[in-house]
Amino acid sequence: MNNNTKSYELIYVILNFGMGSRVYKYARELGIKRGMIILGKGTVKSPLLEFLGITDVRKEIILMVCESSKINEIVPKIVDTFHIDKPNKGILFTIPIKDFYDLQNNGKKYVSAEVKTNGGVKNTMYDAIFVVVDKGKAEFVVEAANEAGAKGGTIIHARGAGEYEIEKIFSMEIEPEKDIVLIIVKEELTEAVVNSIRDKLDIEKEGAGIIFVQEVDQAYGLI
Amino acid sequence: MNVLLKKFRDAVFSVIPITIIVLILNFTIVPLGTTPLIKFLIGAVLIIFGLFIFLIGVDIAIIPMGDMLGSTILETNSIWKIILICFLFGFSISVVEPVLHIVAGQIDYVTAGAISKSLIIISVSIGVGVLITLGVIRPMFNIPLRLCLTIIYSIIFILALIAPPEFISISFDAPGATTGVLTVPFISSLAIGLFSKRAGKESEEDSFGLVGITTSGAVIALLIMSIFVRNADLSHTINHYTSNNITSSSIAGSFLKLVPSIMLETLSALLPIVIIFLVFQVISFKLSKNSFLNIIKGFVHTFIGAVLFLTGANGGFMDVGVTIGGTLTSFENKIVVILFGFLLGAVAILAEPSVYVISKQIEEVTSGYIKGSLIISAFSIGVGFAVALSVIRTIVPGFKLWYYLLPGYALAVILSYFVPNLFVGIAFDSGGVATGLMAATFILAFAQGAAGVVEGSNALVDGFGTISIIALMPVLTLLIFGLIFKVKSSKGGTQKNEQ
Repeated sequence: MNNNTKSYELIYVILNFGMGSRVYKYARELGIKRGMIILGKGTVKSPLLEFLGITDVRKEIILMVCESSKINEIVPKIVDTFHIDKPNKGILFTIPIKDFYDLQNNGKKYVSAEVKTNGGVKNTMYDAIFVVVDKGKAEFVVEAANEAGAKGGTIIHARGAGEYEIEKIFSMEIEPEKDIVLIIVKEELTEAVVNSIRDKLDIEKEGAGIIFVQEVDQAYGLI
Repeated sequence: MNVLLKKFRDAVFSVIPITIIVLILNFTIVPLGTTPLIKFLIGAVLIIFGLFIFLIGVDIAIIPMGDMLGSTILETNSIWKIILICFLFGFSISVVEPVLHIVAGQIDYVTAGAISKSLIIISVSIGVGVLITLGVIRPMFNIPLRLCLTIIYSIIFILALIAPPEFISISFDAPGATTGVLTVPFISSLAIGLFSKRAGKESEEDSFGLVGITTSGAVIALLIMSIFVRNADLSHTINHYTSNNITSSSIAGSFLKLVPSIMLETLSALLPIVIIFLVFQVISFKLSKNSFLNIIKGFVHTFIGAVLFLTGANGGFMDVGVTIGGTLTSFENKIVVILFGFLLGAVAILAEPSVYVISKQIEEVTSGYIKGSLIISAFSIGVGFAVALSVIRTIVPGFKLWYYLLPGYALAVILSYFVPNLFVGIAFDSGGVATGLMAATFILAFAQGAAGVVEGSNALVDGFGTISIIALMPVLTLLIFGLIFKVKSSKGGTQKNEQ
C-alpha cells in the first residue's frame, strides 16, 4: 500500500487566545485533516504590564498533523495569513512524526513514516506517544498503555475535531472536547503500547481517535 | 496586539451598544435634555474605564485567589472543616454585600419595621452560607446537580404557596441582592478551584452551578422569613434605591457626591475576601513575595474599577433609565415599548462585568469548546426577553409575577433533565450573573419608569419582581442553547457511524 510510506510532521502554532479556531479552520481548507487546540498561558514582558500586575496572557497552542509532502506548501500559507513572521505575532514550528495511526478514518488505517535519521547514526532511546481521544476516554488509554508496560501517562485537555466532526450552531463552528494522552516509553515498547491502545479503543469503538509517535532523544525521570 | 489595548477594546465594545441605542432614542422619540444626556455619556466613559480596570483586577486577584482557596479547602480532607470554612465564607461575603443592605432596608421600611433590617441580613446570610456549603459538598457525595436543583426549587415552590403574595416578588429578587460584582466571580472561581482539577469526567460539569445554588439560599431565607410576618402592614409605598440620588444641579457634583458611599460599599464587599486571603496566605498559601504583591495589586485594581463603574452606572445611567421607561410607556403603541425594552435589556447586559468573567471561565474549563461569545449572546437574548416580559407585565393590568415565575422555573427544572450536565450548571449560575450591576441600575430604573406611568400599577408588587424575571430568563435561554448543543452533537454521532 502506498499509504504506508507517507511521512508526517506535526505543526505547532502558538498564538494569542481566540486565534486557534481561525487557524485550524484555515488549515482545514488547505487540506489538513487532524488537529487539536490546547489552551496555554504565555508570559509578557513590559514594564507597564508588570507594574499593573499582569504577568501572563492567554494563548492557544494548535497542533496539526500534516503530510510531509504538503508541509512546504501549507506552512508558508499559514505564516503569511496570520503574519506569524512579524514580531510578537506568534510562533510556528514543526516536528517530524515517526508513526501515525488514524483510527477515525474507518478505524484502522495504518500509516508509518520512514524514520529520518540525521547523519546515519540513530541513538534514540525513547518515543513520545500522543493519543488523541474523545473527552473522558483518557483513562482507558492510560490503562491500555500500562497493560503493555508503560508507566503511566499525562492527560492534556484540548479541543479539536476530525473532518466529519465539525458541527455548526448558529453558524458558529463547534469543536468537540478531546483528551490528549502523552506517554513516554522506551523505543522497544512503543509498538506493544500502541497496539494495546488500538485494541482497547477498537473495543470501545466510539472512542476512535488518532495516535502519533515522535522520537525523544533524552528522557529523565522514567522508571 | 498589545494586551492592554485588547482589554480596553473589549471594555469599549461592551458599553458602545447601549450608548448607541440611548443616543438614537434621544434624537428620535425620547429627548433626554442636555444635562441628563451629558451625565449619561460621562457615566458611559466611567463604566468603560471601570470595566477595563475591574476585569484586570479580577483576572489577577479574584480568580486566582478563588482558585487557590478551592484547592486548599479540598486539601484539608476533612468534611467538617470544609463545612465550617464554606459556611463562614458564604455568611461573611453575604453579610457585607451592599445591595443586600439596601434591599433589607427597603423591606424593613415596607413592613413598617415588622421585619427588621438586621434580621433580614442575618437570615439571608445564613441561607447563603448553608446553601454554598451544600453546593460545595454536593459533588463529593455524587449527588447530581439537577436532582439538587429539583429539590431546592420544590422547597421554594412549597414555601411560595404559604408565603404572603406581596413577598414573593421581593423574595425572588433576592438573587440580585446577594450577587454583587465581587461575589459572582469569586464564588465561580472557588467552584473551579474546587472541582476542575479533580480527575475524571465530571470535573468540568461540577465547576459550574455553585452560584445558582448559593443564590437560591437567599430566596429560601426570605420566603421563610415572610411566613412569620404574614400579618405585617404593607401599606407603605416603596422608595426604591434608584431614586435616592436623582436631584443634583451640577453634573460633576452629582457624580462626586456618590463616590464616598460607593467607596465604602465596595470596600466592605472586598474586605472579607482580602481578609480571607491574608489569613490563608499566612496559614496555607505561603505565596512568594512577588505573587503576593501581584494579588494585592489585583485587589487595588478591583477596588478602583468597581468604584468607577458603580459611580458611572448610578450617576449616569439611572435617571436616563427612568426617563426612557416613563416616556416610552406613555406612547399609544405598546409594541414599541416592548421592542425597545427587549433592545435595551439585550445591550445593557453586555456591560455587565460578571458576564465576561463567567464566559471566560467557561471557555477555560472547556478548553474553548464552548465559546465565550456564545454565552454572551445567550445572556443578551435572555435579558432582552426578560425586560420585554417585565414591560408587558406592567402594561397588562392584573398580570401577576407568578404567571412567569411558576411556568418558567418549572420549565427550567424539567429542561435540566434533557440538557448536558455542563449546561445545567452554567444555566443556573446565569441567574445570579445576570442580576448584577446593570440589572440593578439601568434595567431596574427603566422598568420602574415604565411602571410609574401606568395607572393602577402597584409599586410594591410591580417595582420589585423585575430582577426575578432577569434572573429567570438567561437560565432558560442557556438551557435551550444546551439542548441545541445536544441535538447537534448527537446528530454528529450518527453521521459518524454511517460512514
